[in-house]
Amino acid sequence: MAGSKTWKVGLLYVLAFAVLAVMVFPYLYMVLGSLAPWDEVDRKLIPSSLTLRSYEWLFQGGEDVVPRPWLRAFFNSLLVTSASTLLMLVTAVMVGYALSKVKFKGRQWVNNAILFQMFYPSIILLIPLFLIVRYFGWYNTYWAMILPKAVNLWAIFMYTNFFRGIPDELIEAAKMDGAGHFTIIRRIVWPMSRSITTIIFLFLFMERWVELLWDMLVVNNEKMLTLNVLLAQMFGPYGGYPGPMYAASVLLTLPILILFLLFSRNFKEGMQFILK
Amino acid sequence: MGWLLASPYLVYSAVFFLIPLFWALYLAFTNWNLISPEYETVGMQNFIDAFFSPSVRAAFWVTYKFMLMFVPIVIAGSLFLALILHHLPRWKGLFAVGYFLPYLASGVASSIVVKGVISYNSPLNQFLRDAFGWDIDWLGSPILAPLVIALMMAWKFVGYYALLFLSGLESIPKEVYEAAEIDGAVGWKRVWHVTIPMLYPSFYTVTILAVGLMFGIFTEPYVLTGGGPEYATHTWQLEIYNQAFEKLNAGYGTAVAIINSIVTFASIFVFRKVLEKWGGKHGWE
Repeated sequence: MAGSKTWKVGLLYVLAFAVLAVMVFPYLYMVLGSLAPWDEVDRKLIPSSLTLRSYEWLFQGGEDVVPRPWLRAFFNSLLVTSASTLLMLVTAVMVGYALSKVKFKGRQWVNNAILFQMFYPSIILLIPLFLIVRYFGWYNTYWAMILPKAVNLWAIFMYTNFFRGIPDELIEAAKMDGAGHFTIIRRIVWPMSRSITTIIFLFLFMERWVELLWDMLVVNNEKMLTLNVLLAQMFGPYGGYPGPMYAASVLLTLPILILFLLFSRNFKEGMQFILK
Repeated sequence: MGWLLASPYLVYSAVFFLIPLFWALYLAFTNWNLISPEYETVGMQNFIDAFFSPSVRAAFWVTYKFMLMFVPIVIAGSLFLALILHHLPRWKGLFAVGYFLPYLASGVASSIVVKGVISYNSPLNQFLRDAFGWDIDWLGSPILAPLVIALMMAWKFVGYYALLFLSGLESIPKEVYEAAEIDGAVGWKRVWHVTIPMLYPSFYTVTILAVGLMFGIFTEPYVLTGGGPEYATHTWQLEIYNQAFEKLNAGYGTAVAIINSIVTFASIFVFRKVLEKWGGKHGWE
């Protein structure tokens, strides 16, 4: 009986590792493709030697190819994503706090409006949103990529639910000591929500980082493109250079992976709240 | 004070939700081309054109084709992953993190990888040629092209949905299993008669999420197939993007977006009702 049990657990781990291999395989393929000699890219699973040629080509260009602003695009992505994510977090904490811990007339009404908007298909808004951004003169600016993505309903919803679990007595006691709402947020509410904040931050950052459609619409100046958009647009004309395309994909994927692995210690407990 | 703290949301919603919403409802009845200062209202013409348009009809059917491929794959896959995770005695969290990694991938990067993996001289195709004599034109086939995209999306979401199933599995009380064991339900019988019925709420959530996802596909077909071959991967979002920003039919594009939303709402509503009825018939909650 004990023998059959170990046998089963062994099989389970074999399965678990096999699934893991499938999940990680595309990432490995991408990294190997970016480091392989050019005549082996997409031809050999494991390259016979490793080279940085694809990365050099990416940043310096080839003999007859103009270098594209990949690094600039990387920094555009970083700037836009960080600014946008930060704004989404700050506004979500503020609004979530207001909707759970401050009593005011019309609060329920605002709560309902958020729920309604969350389930509203945003595709209807795409074209008029583009027109508004153009009307404000934000076309081809960072503002166009940051401000329409400065508030996130899902994040507000998550924080509202989380703050509801914080005892009111804690807030009341702080008020007795003369603390204002902003002090309460900074000193009490914010420190208490660290585990959920890391997960919400991760999701917001990730979703903003891989946005394609919107960033593609509001910017056409090559210097302003995000890395995701630049890569999507270059993939057509540069399809004959798969090595550098893999190198750019690595550049695009690495920051998110690093961020995720850094935060993954809180992953399971944070996810448990998100998925409730 | 409450209003002040909530003001970021209120201002944002006024500018980026309410105004565009009403603007959209007006635009859909015009023939505006995004540039010219002059345009006129055309009544229901955009909606009538959309109804008879082959590309809109394609987008309509393609979405259900994607659903037919994606939803069963992703549900079976994520349930399988969740069962593995649930029974692992150690490193459960570690494997969960590993399975979640695909969710971080940009659709652009994964499309580039997939294009490489199925390119003519790739190791995969070499193997299929040498071993079976198969010469497969993956993205040229109207069945394989959407299947490739559905599989890519399943790869991306399976780890995420597995976490939903896992939290469902973890919420099943031990007593239920013990009671089932007394009744003689063990092994696969137990999975079938105890675990799956108890998982119905997670199953419901995952299905609705997966169905909803199919109405918003853009990146993968945009990068990989451009909607082809012959509209086989032409999604709603691709159609709206093409109309409004490639052909500059802003009014018509908005009308298509409105039709898309109605179809989405109606489809999800029907799916919910069917699932609830089906669950109710088996006495699941």
